[in-house]
Amino acid sequence: MSYIEFKNVCKKYKMGEITIKALENTSFQIEKGELVVIVGPSGAGKTTTLNILGGMDSATSGRVIVDGREVTNLKNKELIQYRREDIGFVFQFYNLVQNLTAKENVELATQICKDSLDPEEVLEKVGLSDRKNNFPSQLSGGEQQRVAIARAVAKNPKLLLCDEPTGALDYKTGKQILKLLQDTARKENMTVLIITHNGALAPMADKVIHFKNGTAEKIEINENPIPVEQIEW
Amino acid sequence: MKKVLLKDSLKEIKNTYKRFLSILLMAFLGVGFFAGMRAASPDMIDTIDLYYKENQVYDIQVLSTLGLTNEDVQAIAKLEDIDKVVGTYEVDGKLEIEKKELITKIMCVEEVNQPILLEGELPKNENECVVEESFLKKNNKQIGDSIKVEVEEIQNDEGESISYFKQSKLKIVGTVKSPLYISRDRGTSSLGSGKIDYYIYMNKENVKANDIYTNVYIKVRDREKYTTSSKKYEDYIARIKEEIESIKEERQIARHDKLVNTATQKVEEAQSELNRQKQAAQNKIEKAQQKIEEGKAQIEKAENQINTNQKQADIQFANSYHQIQEAKKTIAENEKELVIKEQETIQKFTELETQKQNLQVQLEEVANSLTQKQNQYHQIKDNPMVSEEQKQALIVEIQTLQQSKQMIEAGITQIEQGMIEGKQKIEQAKIQLQSAKTELIKQQSQYEVKKKAMDSQIESAKAEIQKSKQELQEGQEELIKNRKEFETKISQAEEKLKDAKAKIDEIENPKWYILDRYGNTGYNSFIQDTRSIENIAKVFPIVFFLVALLISLTSMTRMVEEQRTQIGTLKALGYNKIQIASKYVIYASLACTIGGILGMGVGFILLPKIIWLMYQMMYQMTEIVIRFQWGAGGVGILWISLCIIGATIYAVFKELVHTPATLMRPKAPKMGKRVILEKIPFIWKRLSFSQKVTVRNIFRYKKRFLMTIIGILGCTALIVVGFGIKDSIRSIMPNQFEKVFHYDMQIGLKNDLQENQKQEYITKLQEKPEIEEMIETYMTSNTAVYQEKEEEIQMIVPKEELNGMINLVDVKTKETVELKENEIVITDKVAELLGVKQGDIVILKDRNEKERKVKISNLIENYVSHYVYMSKATYETLYGTTYETNVLFTKNGSISEEQEENLVMDMMEQEEVASISRTSSVMEMLDDTMKSLNYVVIILIVSAGLLAFVVLYNLSNVNISERIRELATIKVLGFYDKEVYHYVTRETVLLTAIGIVLGLVGGYFLNYFIIGTCEINMLRFKKVIEPMSYGYGAFITIGFTLIVNWVTYFALKKIDMIESLKSIE
Repeated sequence: MSYIEFKNVCKKYKMGEITIKALENTSFQIEKGELVVIVGPSGAGKTTTLNILGGMDSATSGRVIVDGREVTNLKNKELIQYRREDIGFVFQFYNLVQNLTAKENVELATQICKDSLDPEEVLEKVGLSDRKNNFPSQLSGGEQQRVAIARAVAKNPKLLLCDEPTGALDYKTGKQILKLLQDTARKENMTVLIITHNGALAPMADKVIHFKNGTAEKIEINENPIPVEQIEW
Repeated sequence: MKKVLLKDSLKEIKNTYKRFLSILLMAFLGVGFFAGMRAASPDMIDTIDLYYKENQVYDIQVLSTLGLTNEDVQAIAKLEDIDKVVGTYEVDGKLEIEKKELITKIMCVEEVNQPILLEGELPKNENECVVEESFLKKNNKQIGDSIKVEVEEIQNDEGESISYFKQSKLKIVGTVKSPLYISRDRGTSSLGSGKIDYYIYMNKENVKANDIYTNVYIKVRDREKYTTSSKKYEDYIARIKEEIESIKEERQIARHDKLVNTATQKVEEAQSELNRQKQAAQNKIEKAQQKIEEGKAQIEKAENQINTNQKQADIQFANSYHQIQEAKKTIAENEKELVIKEQETIQKFTELETQKQNLQVQLEEVANSLTQKQNQYHQIKDNPMVSEEQKQALIVEIQTLQQSKQMIEAGITQIEQGMIEGKQKIEQAKIQLQSAKTELIKQQSQYEVKKKAMDSQIESAKAEIQKSKQELQEGQEELIKNRKEFETKISQAEEKLKDAKAKIDEIENPKWYILDRYGNTGYNSFIQDTRSIENIAKVFPIVFFLVALLISLTSMTRMVEEQRTQIGTLKALGYNKIQIASKYVIYASLACTIGGILGMGVGFILLPKIIWLMYQMMYQMTEIVIRFQWGAGGVGILWISLCIIGATIYAVFKELVHTPATLMRPKAPKMGKRVILEKIPFIWKRLSFSQKVTVRNIFRYKKRFLMTIIGILGCTALIVVGFGIKDSIRSIMPNQFEKVFHYDMQIGLKNDLQENQKQEYITKLQEKPEIEEMIETYMTSNTAVYQEKEEEIQMIVPKEELNGMINLVDVKTKETVELKENEIVITDKVAELLGVKQGDIVILKDRNEKERKVKISNLIENYVSHYVYMSKATYETLYGTTYETNVLFTKNGSISEEQEENLVMDMMEQEEVASISRTSSVMEMLDDTMKSLNYVVIILIVSAGLLAFVVLYNLSNVNISERIRELATIKVLGFYDKEVYHYVTRETVLLTAIGIVLGLVGGYFLNYFIIGTCEINMLRFKKVIEPMSYGYGAFITIGFTLIVNWVTYFALKKIDMIESLKSIE
C-alpha cells in the first residue's frame, strides 16, 4: 500500500438544483517522499483534490488514505487534528497573517504542533533568517511565499500541499520557490504535492498527475526528475 | 440612475442580508428607542388630555376657607374666557364596615369631573350613590347594598349646626372611576386615620348645606384648543388664574362682610334680648325685694300694733277690772245707803202720816169754814142787800179759804205723793241696785270672755307674725339665691356674647385658593412622571442612538472597503462618482429608512405601551392614546440617515479618489506594525504568543477597537445609570427618614387654640407612654426668592433644640449645624434651584407677600421637599412676632404598627389636633411614587442590554468578515474551533473589559448628568451608585458578551476555508 491512496473519489457540489461533479472517480497513489505535480486546466478538479487531501473538504464517495489512516470519514475535530499534524499548506496568495512578523507567522503554526521544527531554523533553511522580524508587508512576494512555505514545513507535516505556489510570482522568484520545494522534498524526505496549471513544471516531479474533466486522466512517473534550475518555461 | 445599479444594490442587499439587517436593526433600535422614548411622554400627556377633556375635568378650581357662595360663582362666571363655573360639595365622611372605619371622600355628580360609569347607573335619587370598584371587592359589597355614611355636622352662616346630608343611608347603584383620582392616592382627611380610603359619588340633591359650596370648578373657554400641561395651556390658565385673582380680594371681603354682618346682627339681637331679660329679671328681683321690705315693714307695724293693742287692752282690762271692783263697792255702799234710806223713809213716813193727819184735820176745818162761808156767800150773793164790800170780803175770804184748802189738799197730795214717791224711790233704788248687781255680774263675765278672746287673739296674731316673719325670711333667702342664679346666668350669657363678639372679630378674611390641575395630586404626580420620562428620554436615547449610529457607520465603511474592486470596475467602466456612490447610498438609505420606519412604528407603539403598562400599576385612567409623533421619529430617522449615508458617501468618495487600476488591485493589506508594548521587553517577553497576537491585533484595528470600546462603554454606562437611578430613588426614603428626619409622627395643632390649651395638650401628650420624646416647632410655608427665582419652602422654627429629631447636617463638611442668630439654614436642593450659596442673602416671602432678607449660614442635607430652619430668636426678630407652637414632632417608643395606628386614631379624635402624618405612611406613599420611576429604569436596563447585544454582535460580525482570510488560514493551519474562537474573542474580551471599565466610569458621570436632569424638583437624588450596580452593569455586559461570543463561535465554525482562501476578487 502506498503512503497516500486516493481511491475512486467523487466530489459533488449541490448548487441549488444543479449538482456539479467536481471530481469523478479519481484514483492515484503517492509514495512517501515523492514530489508530485498535479497539472491540468482550470476546473479540472486539481484544487478539489488538494482540498480533500488536505482535510479542508471531504469526498462525497471513495476513500482517501494517508499514511494508513482513513481520512474520508473523519469527524470535524479529527479532520482539524489531521490538518494540524499531518498537513502543510502553501497558497498562491501566501495567506500570511499580516499582523505577524515572518517568524511569528511560522510560530503561529509551530505552537500548535507536537513535532514542530524550530521556526528560526526553518526560516534559515528558506533563506530568510535576516528578515525573520519583518512583517509580511515589508517582504517581497517571493519572500512572503518562503515564509508561507516555512510556516507549512515547520509543522513537520506528512504532506506538503501547494496550490499554485508561484501563481502570483514572477518567473525568477517562482523558480526559486519551486527549488525550495524540491529541495525540501529531497532533503527532508517530505511528500510534496504541487498544483500548477503550468505543464512545463512536470519534469521536476517524481510523479505527474494529469487532471482533466474532474478526474486524474494520466499518471506519469518520472524516473529521473530534473532539478528546477534546469527547467525553462 | 441606471437600472443595473439599482438591481445591483438590491442584489447586494440580498447577498449581504446580514449586514443589511444589522444596519437595519441598528437604525431600528436607535430610531425606535429614540422615537418611542420621546413619544412616551407626549403620548401620556395626550392620554390624560383626552381623558380630561372627555370627562370634563376642571381647568381651575377655587377653594375658600369659608366656603363659596352663588355670588362668588356668578362673579367668576362673568370673567373673560370662562366657559362654565360649577359650585359643588365635597366632604369627607366615615363609613363603618365590619367594624372597620373607612374614610371616604364624598362628591356630587356634576357636569364637571364626570365619573366614568363602569357598572350599574349613576345616582338619580338622593339616597343613592356610586362607589369604586375596589370598594365593592375589598369590602364584600354589591350593587344594591346600602352603606351608611357619617358626616360631621356643619355650621351654616347663621351659626347653627345642621346635618350635611338629607340621607345618610345610601344605596349603591353602580361603580365608577373618577378622573380626579387617577393615582392610588386618595389624599388626606382630618378624620380618622387621616388618610382617605375611597371616594363616593352621590346626587347633589342629597346635600343640605345651603348653597355654601366647598369647591368651585371652572372650565375655561378654549380648553379644547390646548393640550393639558403644554406651555400654551399653562400660560392660558395662568392668565385666567390672574383674572380670578383680581376679583379674589373683593369676593373675600364680601364673604367676610356677609358673615360678619350676619354674626353681628345675631350678636346684637342676642345682646338686646339679654339686656331685656336682664332688665326684666332685675325688675322682678327688685319687686321681690321691695315686697319683702314691705312685708318686713308690715310685720313690724303689725307687731307694734299688737304690742299697742295689747297694752291698750291691758289698760282697758285693768280699767274694766277696776270699774267692776268700784261698781261692786258702789253697789255695796248703795245697798247700805238703801237700807238706811229705807229706815229714814219709814221714819219720814210716820212723820208724814202725822203731818197728813194734821193736815186732814186742818182741811176739815178749812173745808167746814169754807162750806160755811160759801154758804154764806151763797146766801149773800144773791142778796143784793149784803154790801158789795161784804160780799167782796166774803169772796176774798172764800178765796182765801179755798186757797188754803187747796194748799192743804196739795200738801196732803204732796205728802201722799212724797210717800208714794219715797216708796217708789226705794223701790226704784232697790230695782236699780238689783239691776246694777246683775249688770256687774254680766260685765264681770263679759270681761272674762273678752279678756280670754283678747288673749287668744293676740296670741294668734303673734303666731301669724312669726309665720310671716319666717316666710319673709324664706322669701329673702330665695331671693338671694335667685339673684345669685340670675347673676351667674347673666354673666354666662354675657360671656357667651362676648365670645360671640370676639368670634366676629376672629372671623378671618376667607382665603381663596385658586388652583389649577396641579392642585390634584394624581394629575400632579402624573405630569411630574411624564416630565421625568421626558427628561430621561432627552438624554438616554441619544446615548443609545449614538452608539447605534457608530456601529452602523462601521458596517457601511467596511462594506465600501470590501467592494473596492467593484468600485474600481465601475469607475473604469465610466460611471461617475455619484452613480457609483448611489449604490451604497441606496443600500444605506434603505437600511436606515426601513429600519427607522419600522423602529418608529414599533417604538411609537411599544415603548409608550410598555411604559403605560407599568404606569398603570400607579394610575387608573384609560387606554393610552398612541400618536405618531412624527417630529420625534423624523428627527431620529433624519439623524441616523444623515450620519450613515454621510459616512457611506465619505467612504465611497475616499475610495474613488484612487484610479480604477489601483482600486481593482486588492487593497494592500494593512501593514503589520510593532506596538509600543514590544519596546518594553520586560512585559512583551512575558506574554504568550497568542497574547502577543491579541495585543498586536488590538493596536492594528484601531477603529474597531475604538468602536467596540465606545459601544461597550455606552451600554455599560447605560446599564449602570439605569441601576444608578434606581439606587438614587431607593436611597431617598432611607436618607430622608433615617438620616435627616428621625421623628415618627408630625402632629399639626389647630391654629385657633389658646396658648394654655396648647400647652395643656402638649403636656398630656408627653405623658402618653407611647411617646418617647417630643419637640415643639412652628412650621409654615414660605417662598424663598433669589434673583427672580422663587421656590416654595417649608419653614421650621424649633422652640428649643431639635434634639436629633431632625438632623441638620452640612452638605459639604458633613458636620451637624447649629442654628445661628439672625441666620438661616436651607436645604441644598432648593439652594441649587435658587442658585444660592452659603453666606448669600436670600429673601423669604410669607403668605402675605411680605419680604424679609436673611443670610444663609449653611446648606444642609435633605432629600424630600424644601426646608428652611431658623432659631426661635431669629424668627422673632425677623418676623417681629412671638413664637407660637403649631407642629409637634414625636418619637415613639417601640410600639407596633397597630399600636401606632390606634394612637393616631385616638389623637385625631382630639379637638386640638389638626393633622397627623406618620413617617411610616409618608414613606409608604412616597415609596409608591418612587416605584414608578423604577419602571422606566427597567426599560432602560433592558434596552441598554439589547443595545449591548447588538453592538457586540455587529462588531463581532465586522471583525469576522474583515479578517475572514486570516481566520480561514489559521483554520487551515489546523487550529481547533476553540482555538480559532479564542484567537478572535481574546480581543473582544479584552476590549469588552476595557469598555466595561470605562463604561463604569462613564456610567458614574452619565448618572451624575442624567440624575441632574431627571431629578424631580422636590427631591434630591443622591448621585451615588451602589457598588452592586456597577457589578450589575459589568455582569450584564459580560453576559451579553458571552452570548455574542457563543454566537460568534458558531459563525467561526461555519467559515468556509476554501471559499475564503480563493483568490481575491
